[in-house]
Amino acid sequence: MKKNKIMKKASKLLWMLLYFLFMGMQSFSQTSVRKITGKIINKTNGEPISGASISVKNAANATLSDAAGNFAIDAKAGETIFISFVGFTPQSIDVNNSTGNLRIQLTEEYNKLNDVVLIGYGVQQKKLVTGATAQVKGKDLAKLNTTNALQALQGQAAGVNITSTSGQPGGGFKVNIRGAGTIGNASPLYVVDGVITNDITYLNNSDIASVDILKDAASCAIYGINGANGVVLITTRSGKWGKKNGEISFDAYYGIQNIGRKLPLLNAEQYATMQNEAAINSGKSLLFTQAQIDALAKGSQDLPAHGTDWLNQMFSSDVPIQNYNLAANGGTDVSSYSLGMSYTEQGGIIGGSDLSDYKRYNFRTNSERKLYDGALKVGEHVTFSFIDQKGVADGGLYSGNVLAGAIGTSPLLAMYDAKGNYLSSLNSTVYNGGVWNNTEANPYALMQYNNQSDGKTQKLIGDVYAELQPIKNLRIRSTFGMNYSSSANHSYRPTYEKLSVYAYNLYESIGQGGSQGYAWNFDNTINYVFNIKEHRFDVLAGSAVRKYQGTWFSGNNTGATLFGSFDRGYLSNSTVTSISMSSDTSAANRQTVTNGMSLSGNANAVYAQSSFFGRINYSFREKYLASAIFRADGSTMFAPGHQWGYFPSLSAGWVVSSEDFMASTKNWLNFLKVRASWGSNGNDGISAFNYLSLISLSNARYNFGNDNTTLTQGSYPSTIGVENTKWESSRQTNIGIDARFLNNKLDMSLDLYNKTTKDWLIAAPLLATAGVSRNPYINGGDVTNKGIELQLSYNGNIGRDFTYNVSGSYAYNKNVVNNIPTADGIIHGGTNSLFVNGPEFFRAAAGNPIGYFWGYKSAGIFQNEADVQAWNGKKGALQPDAQPGDMKLVDLNGDGVINADDKTNIGDPNPHHVFGLRFSGNYKNFDLSITTNGVAGNKIVQSYRSPGQWANWTTDVLSRWHGEGTSNIMPRITQNSSNWVEFSDLYIHDGSYLRVSNITLGYDLAKLVRWKYLSQFRLYVAAQNLITFTKYSGMDPEVGASSYDASGAYYFGQGVDNGFYPRPRVYMVGVNIIF
Amino acid sequence: MKKYRIIIVAVVAIITFNSCKKFLTTELTDAVQTNVTYYKTPSDAYTALAGCYNGLDQIYNSDAIPAELEVFSDNSFGGTGAFDGYGWEMIDEFAKAVSPSDVSFHSSGWKAYYQAIYRCNVLLQNIDKVEWGDSSALRRKYTAEAKFIRAYCYLDMVRLWEMVPLVITPSSDNVQQTDPEETFTQIMNDLRYASDSLPSDSYTSVPSGRVTKWAAESLLARAYLFYSGYYGKSNLGSETAATALAAVEDVIAHSGHALVSDFNTLWPAASTAKNVAYAGEQNPEVVFAIKYSSTDNWSGDATGNRWMVMEGIRSQSIYPYQAGWGGCTVDPKLWNSFASTDTRRFATILSVADENLAYNKSSDCREYTGYFLKKYAMLCDQSGTSIVSNFQTGQYQDFFAIRYSDVLLMAAELGSPNAVSYYNQVHQRADTSAAPATSVSKADILAERRLEFAGEGLRYWDLLRQGVDVAAATIAENTTVTNFSDGTSNPPTASQLQANITATRGFQQIPGDQITLSSGVLKQNAGW
Repeated sequence: MKKNKIMKKASKLLWMLLYFLFMGMQSFSQTSVRKITGKIINKTNGEPISGASISVKNAANATLSDAAGNFAIDAKAGETIFISFVGFTPQSIDVNNSTGNLRIQLTEEYNKLNDVVLIGYGVQQKKLVTGATAQVKGKDLAKLNTTNALQALQGQAAGVNITSTSGQPGGGFKVNIRGAGTIGNASPLYVVDGVITNDITYLNNSDIASVDILKDAASCAIYGINGANGVVLITTRSGKWGKKNGEISFDAYYGIQNIGRKLPLLNAEQYATMQNEAAINSGKSLLFTQAQIDALAKGSQDLPAHGTDWLNQMFSSDVPIQNYNLAANGGTDVSSYSLGMSYTEQGGIIGGSDLSDYKRYNFRTNSERKLYDGALKVGEHVTFSFIDQKGVADGGLYSGNVLAGAIGTSPLLAMYDAKGNYLSSLNSTVYNGGVWNNTEANPYALMQYNNQSDGKTQKLIGDVYAELQPIKNLRIRSTFGMNYSSSANHSYRPTYEKLSVYAYNLYESIGQGGSQGYAWNFDNTINYVFNIKEHRFDVLAGSAVRKYQGTWFSGNNTGATLFGSFDRGYLSNSTVTSISMSSDTSAANRQTVTNGMSLSGNANAVYAQSSFFGRINYSFREKYLASAIFRADGSTMFAPGHQWGYFPSLSAGWVVSSEDFMASTKNWLNFLKVRASWGSNGNDGISAFNYLSLISLSNARYNFGNDNTTLTQGSYPSTIGVENTKWESSRQTNIGIDARFLNNKLDMSLDLYNKTTKDWLIAAPLLATAGVSRNPYINGGDVTNKGIELQLSYNGNIGRDFTYNVSGSYAYNKNVVNNIPTADGIIHGGTNSLFVNGPEFFRAAAGNPIGYFWGYKSAGIFQNEADVQAWNGKKGALQPDAQPGDMKLVDLNGDGVINADDKTNIGDPNPHHVFGLRFSGNYKNFDLSITTNGVAGNKIVQSYRSPGQWANWTTDVLSRWHGEGTSNIMPRITQNSSNWVEFSDLYIHDGSYLRVSNITLGYDLAKLVRWKYLSQFRLYVAAQNLITFTKYSGMDPEVGASSYDASGAYYFGQGVDNGFYPRPRVYMVGVNIIF
Repeated sequence: MKKYRIIIVAVVAIITFNSCKKFLTTELTDAVQTNVTYYKTPSDAYTALAGCYNGLDQIYNSDAIPAELEVFSDNSFGGTGAFDGYGWEMIDEFAKAVSPSDVSFHSSGWKAYYQAIYRCNVLLQNIDKVEWGDSSALRRKYTAEAKFIRAYCYLDMVRLWEMVPLVITPSSDNVQQTDPEETFTQIMNDLRYASDSLPSDSYTSVPSGRVTKWAAESLLARAYLFYSGYYGKSNLGSETAATALAAVEDVIAHSGHALVSDFNTLWPAASTAKNVAYAGEQNPEVVFAIKYSSTDNWSGDATGNRWMVMEGIRSQSIYPYQAGWGGCTVDPKLWNSFASTDTRRFATILSVADENLAYNKSSDCREYTGYFLKKYAMLCDQSGTSIVSNFQTGQYQDFFAIRYSDVLLMAAELGSPNAVSYYNQVHQRADTSAAPATSVSKADILAERRLEFAGEGLRYWDLLRQGVDVAAATIAENTTVTNFSDGTSNPPTASQLQANITATRGFQQIPGDQITLSSGVLKQNAGW
């Protein structure tokens, strides 16, 4: 290892440096020095500015303004005093003999182009950036009071599409930057303070200083590793240099959550009427008499009037959400610190906080210290997060989705029996004194019984770094980072009597599990900035290594427990028992539970990456800009010999507005930059040891002998290794414009991009004859995303007191699969996932967007028998068995029969347009902000009901065809739901929406109190998810649920609403205090 | 210049720090070995062999072939729930139009067969890598067992789909379908190898479930009978009626297998309902069984019998019959073909009326006839609760793939001089009041086979091996077509049913997903 050598070298260097510094100290000047005093105020609101820096040009004197904005500094005539403060335009004042008490008004800068943005292993002034990046400030996220940053980011950055995968507290998010480039994991790479992580929901918004989103290949190239889906860089809040007194802030909010829109289900009498109609249409006799229907409306001792609205039972009201955050930060000119702790809790609106709850405790400390007069900087970022989470099953058909259960249960089942216990459908007397449907079970009871689980996760993410600046403009930085996570969970399921024929639990069961894993990274970079005449070069070279390791275990125990409660539901509190068959063959009850403990655990495959990278940023007079990046990455995901991938990128920019010929436009065009980039980013996201043919011991036992419980261990070849699999790369071309108009009030960025995934890593389905069920990853096929992004921001004011900002983002993306490397060129969607026994309904195939809906096109409804007869193909009647009221299916290929060959693309689940609009304004001490976001052009498939079952309907069914002319959209109902058995455009719904995600009104008392230590005391009220404009009939149009493909390897079936957990509507009050 | 030296040194240091070669080498930390490191010891080989056996559990758990065979035949209708899909009606009527979206009805089964075959192929490919030491006899034994399992799978496949890709060494190629003669030859070779290699010890010398010489010989005869019958050829290579007969006569003479005395004791449901002791899974009559356990609970192991649930009565448990999906409703003609004195009638068919069952869910059933299959009926206790904790996955009842009575009747059919005696053993065991036959024709034997094996998946093969015309005519004639309820306005007439079966030549739909995946290299069978 060369590490010792470099350290020796560095320390030698340091000593030399220190020597020069001491020798070079200036002796004091002899000319007359006067004390200049002054006060710095904000020009916009007249408030004092504390912490502004005041320095004398070309001299060592410098100071900071105090809390009242006052300062004093020594200077002499002829010198220049320079005043600056972050976010304000700096000013300089020439000192003359009469300079005395100054009153300096600083103008707030809305000019984002002077901001610095993170570019990966460094920062760059935004005006010099040649790639496509977006930055969102942490304070803008914090204002939205969401439990995590991803939700707050929705609609804020053009080209970033964020969809919640469940409205449940702690639910996940699907993040696509510039469309999905793969049917696998299309999530971007998250880098928090230089540490790679796969999730950022552990952070509290108030800990985030900024979020930088790198979108084009040139920007991501420095993170060639897994940068193919874009990179999100998070910077946590750091200390404030020179703020000796420090600053304490306290933020808190408390809110209540309720369902925004509840699905209208049929009540008992409507349900009975529909069942009657279905029976008649199926050639059966009526199931209910009119008297019975009337009785259902009135209610009886069996059932309350109108029956049970199961959704009402599932939803809790006024479920609390709360957040408290305490932070301190400050610093001197040699050190800075930022500390924070926070607590967040959000209960679930389904099942309430007892079953569904998310609690998070965060601790953060970031500090930095300059040593040897700034030649060496050392510091750290550490965030510890503890998350305690409970949840109910949601999403999909079979996971016990509590909402699907509630929608699917008839309103004829009562909640409780006469004794106040949950009513079993076997004991119902609602229908002719007997059972209506003995296969339906009380969904509320099932939710209570089957969702008793709790998981606790600890995460520690942070780094320690040192940056040496041995000579001016040369920075050598070394960072050691750690991403550690561990979790422990347990669950309990009580015994319960039969709620239906199928819903019962004979044996208590307990589950317990845990896992731990950590990834460390060690990054070393050297950065040198130099000028050759007017050519400025910023050169970076570096290397990084990263390694992940982890282990897990889980256990289950079935049998009587000591305590019979969830709280004590841990493995050893259950008797050590197992299921066995007794040898007594005469009794029917031959199974006895005597031992059910099963344990499993393992270490995960080690995952290591090693990288080298270099970057040159060039600028000429800040007018002509260029950047070149090259990165080489090695990954253990690939076989030796195929481990390395190479990712170059180039970009260039031209600040047109700096040209002389643009002088005439200066009065309205303040800035114009044209930029272009091309580059390639990598992705190694496949399963470990893809290149080996593995032998598996799991799921291969056999029951030799007479004992039905003793199994002989077996093994089998479970995978077929593909040795030549290599890095996937996403190649992207980007052309963009950054411009400012109207005295810098209007700020605009426009980007056009074309991104193609090459050597796509895809688990292409193998033929059955290959003999394994797991498809190995191969390279092949490609996906293209093309689009436009527009980001606008306008700052205005009306008079002195009213300032406002309107900002918007808009992105258009077109996603298309060009090629899939299988014989048929299709990755098929799974069956049985839209409804029970449902067919394949989504696919990835050439010429279509990822996950497009594949089914029959319909052409309305047969209104009468003549319509049926007239619906002819070349072989005569197309649907001779159809009845009036049935769907007309289109014979797309014209072969005279309706069959699978007529299925086609009937909808795209990917949004074509993603947008957000935000207004914020300040009037005196008031502030108001309105945030919206939305998508358009995407389709959702909705299925709450499996064909033919006795499940309830939503009131949508009331618009069904029930006689000529009654509907041309919704077909007649039958007992076997014949019109719903095939997947057609009947299932397709428009998923466009615009959500008013946040409205906040605040008032700052601090300006009334005028206590010198209090700089903010803001009270506010806010409403989240107040209104959603949409045509979609579900509870929430933001359906992020997914379905598995036919091989079970992918879940790229998007926009599938089987009863989606909706996002709650929240009303909250809060306070922000800064001392 | 000094500063450039500093920069160069720093760059070189950064690069060299990172160039430790070992960093990108990771060991296997999961509990897995590779096909290179494994297959070293006899114990590895045994574990791999158990994995091949597990493949047998997977096939019917992926595609309920034993139940479907009853539906193909004249014994049962598709049945299932009143609102289920029409896939089971489609296979019952050999009519794709009944359920046009079921283009890949047998996809899971097709895959499971090839997965089981792949396990055998990989073991056979690597068997010479094993350091056998002084246990080289095991090498031959394990090879024989793996070849038997492969032959078992291919025999199912070639009879179900006829044209199947024959893969006997692992291959990821797009393999074409193979001529059935070649497939049958491979089956015969594998079975002959197994019967030659396995010891001539009594069946009791190995644990229940292991392949014996007797199982191999019996399966060989079964394969020969089908091949010679369906294709009308008297020999397949060196295998003839005489070699097949010799094989089953060897089983009769040396295996130790025998009939149990009471037919009802062979079946858990019948013995429970009759309150007689179940003969158990290793009774003398079981020549080869696919073994299932009671411990499966949706684990990927799939070691429980997951296809029995198809045959359970719909929506209502009545002691001792556990509710299931109501498939394979029995054609009343089958019930009527049993003599009332034949104990097999009770053991084979669950008659709602005859057993006075208070069944009130007939409206939940499709193609309800009042009769369900009983041999593989699930059990519940007196309170109507399943006796296994998960009734869908935890059924432990083995599938008796070859029973000794089959061996006796095959020997009789192949022309054994003891044919009459063999026939009488089977017939009189079932019906003690029956007079002994003095002579038996092939038709007598086939009729007896229908009664003996109804519900065991043999009837359809017995029909088909008489030729597709006989099979189509018999099924059409014997089936009560008025029981068809297939969602169309016009259920088929007997002549339509016969035409449907003839059009398919009695073979099944090749999974559409595999045809598209092969880009048309696989060809669909006629009629589908």
